[in-house]
Amino acid sequence: MDLWTYLQIALPRIWGGLIITFQVSGVCLLIGLLIGFPAALARVYGPKWLRWLVTGYIEIIRGTPVLVQLFLIYYGLPQFGITLSAYMSAYIAIGMNSGAYQAEYFRGAIQAISGGQMMAARSIGMTPLQAIRHVIIPQAFRFAIPAWSNEVVAMIKISSIVYLIAVPEMLYIAKELMAKYYNPFQTYFTVGAVYLIIIGILTILLNRLEQALVIPGMDVAKRGG
Amino acid sequence: MEELRVLVPYILRGLSVTLEVTGVALGIGLFFGAILAILRVYGGDILSRILTVYTSILRALPHILLLLVIYFLIARIVNLSPFWAGSLSLGIISSAYQAEIIRGAILAVPRGQMMAARSIGMPRFKAILKVILPQAFRHAIPPWSNEAAIVIKDSSLVYVLGVPEILRQAQYYSAREYQPFLAYVTVAVIYFLLTFTTNRGLDALEKRIRIPGF
Amino acid sequence: MPQTKKEIVKVEDLHKRYGKEEVLRGISMEVDEGEVVILVGPSGTGKSTLLRCINQLTRPDSKKVWVNGIDLTNPKTDIDKARQHIGMVFQDFNLFNHLTALDNVMLGLTQVLNMDKETARQKAMAELDRVGLCNKFMNYPGQLSGGQKQRVAIARSLAMEPIVMLFDEPTSALDPELIGEVLVVMKDLAMAGMTMICVTHEIGFARDVSTRIVFMEHGDIVEQGTPKKMLSNPDLPRTKQFLGKISDLH
Repeated sequence: MDLWTYLQIALPRIWGGLIITFQVSGVCLLIGLLIGFPAALARVYGPKWLRWLVTGYIEIIRGTPVLVQLFLIYYGLPQFGITLSAYMSAYIAIGMNSGAYQAEYFRGAIQAISGGQMMAARSIGMTPLQAIRHVIIPQAFRFAIPAWSNEVVAMIKISSIVYLIAVPEMLYIAKELMAKYYNPFQTYFTVGAVYLIIIGILTILLNRLEQALVIPGMDVAKRGG
Repeated sequence: MEELRVLVPYILRGLSVTLEVTGVALGIGLFFGAILAILRVYGGDILSRILTVYTSILRALPHILLLLVIYFLIARIVNLSPFWAGSLSLGIISSAYQAEIIRGAILAVPRGQMMAARSIGMPRFKAILKVILPQAFRHAIPPWSNEAAIVIKDSSLVYVLGVPEILRQAQYYSAREYQPFLAYVTVAVIYFLLTFTTNRGLDALEKRIRIPGF
Repeated sequence: MPQTKKEIVKVEDLHKRYGKEEVLRGISMEVDEGEVVILVGPSGTGKSTLLRCINQLTRPDSKKVWVNGIDLTNPKTDIDKARQHIGMVFQDFNLFNHLTALDNVMLGLTQVLNMDKETARQKAMAELDRVGLCNKFMNYPGQLSGGQKQRVAIARSLAMEPIVMLFDEPTSALDPELIGEVLVVMKDLAMAGMTMICVTHEIGFARDVSTRIVFMEHGDIVEQGTPKKMLSNPDLPRTKQFLGKISDLH
């Protein structure tokens, strides 16, 4: 069938998949934040054993494919009686994955700020905890924004792998459509275009946010693409 | 455990394939990435913009989507085995990232180096080859080490094309023997060792070719 | 019998504009063999740009540049070949960071002049010796002081046996105590008869060594003349004012 007719059928379904994509990406990003930021603080300011533990977690997660991590939780845990839904598995696996990378960005930000700012805060009589709370953390967040917005885009891309465990995000919908209408070319083209448009819009929005919030002249290393 | 003695060799049968896929992908990525980078830096305005759009698109799309698309596109034209289709796809994807890395490395070389080379009468091409690239190479190693680790991990994606690398082996095994956790943990350990040694190795290389005093 | 001096560099009505700013406004100048011409003037008045136009590292918007009779502004001219005979020394040295001092000097010989390695090596060592640095031949730029780096840079250019040497503020990036060693090399060069065009603030050097001082401001040549005239009795008050000021500082 021609592209236009096809789009009329496909787009509403792809839209449904897009919502799920956002949902998965969003939740994982949030989980990653809740894991990553404290992990970063632990690595910079924590006692030796904690630093060692956190670094181990980060190195292992970053050294193994996220797909393997996903399968480990979704297919592996049932062996011990822990059976999680596809969604939960996705949230935990990808959330933990994102947490490791976010921990690195925040660590970079905290370390870049820490030296001078900590000295300044202590010199006016603040305790380390006060300094961390009132001086380091607010700055660390804004410092890490460029790297973090990179992570947002990365999450959208990575979330697509959950189609392999039957979570109905965009790529899964694409596969269903192809099975029904036998037109891989049109489907992939459409889904690809949607990804590009979404990421394009996101990038622009995130840039605006960066410019509004960021501390000028500072940047941290990113995930790698 | 008893299981391991059967499990590990079974999974390791896929190791050579994993290494081959990674090697081919990195090689293709390096070759095309370098060309893309040099064209973007030295190729003039219009070409630079076209290539920027090209690499931006490749880096914006999910890798697995690109894998499937390229595989499908190629399967229509040429009859490639899943191994070659997968490796080629990963190579094309990697070339976009490597282009960025190499471009950044070239731009990190001070402008004065090109001026100095031209000022003794060196033609542009020779200056790029003998003065710019040797210095850019050193700048490129840390981010390239990162990219190598990424490609190693991405090689797990080609299992969807049926390529018998280690993840595929783990899946077959857990379907038959009902020890999925152990299988996936083993695979994870193998990947970890691969990325770990690669990073350490490249770190050592970086130290060895470091320019004294720089 | 009057000896006709060979004209090495000729620049005719050079114009160069960067965006809205016109940096060179119709500069014309001739430099004969053996002359040592010093370009002075406030920063940003086009002195460095003029220098870079001579070896076409910067392409002027209009008119012409001849070196040794060859029109470099003609697109048909093989500019790489022409640059083999023009030496340039930069404010930031621009030594090839990934090569030793010896290799820096040798690179042009082996890669551009296609000399065999052994001949190139000997010549390079000779040039390093000429600038007083043959004991540093295996050091990398990062291991050398500023003055040493600049001397290696000079050796690198000299190895190509240029007919004219262009110096773009060669000592401006150096600590005061290191300036002397570079000026000594430049002075020897001048005494040996090299045609030189230097952008510099080193008035002492200008007074002792140069044959002509050219004062530039706002992209024009304000006045030029012998060092004796320019430094003690110039025609224009502005010249006197500027040269007087930097004379005091040095």
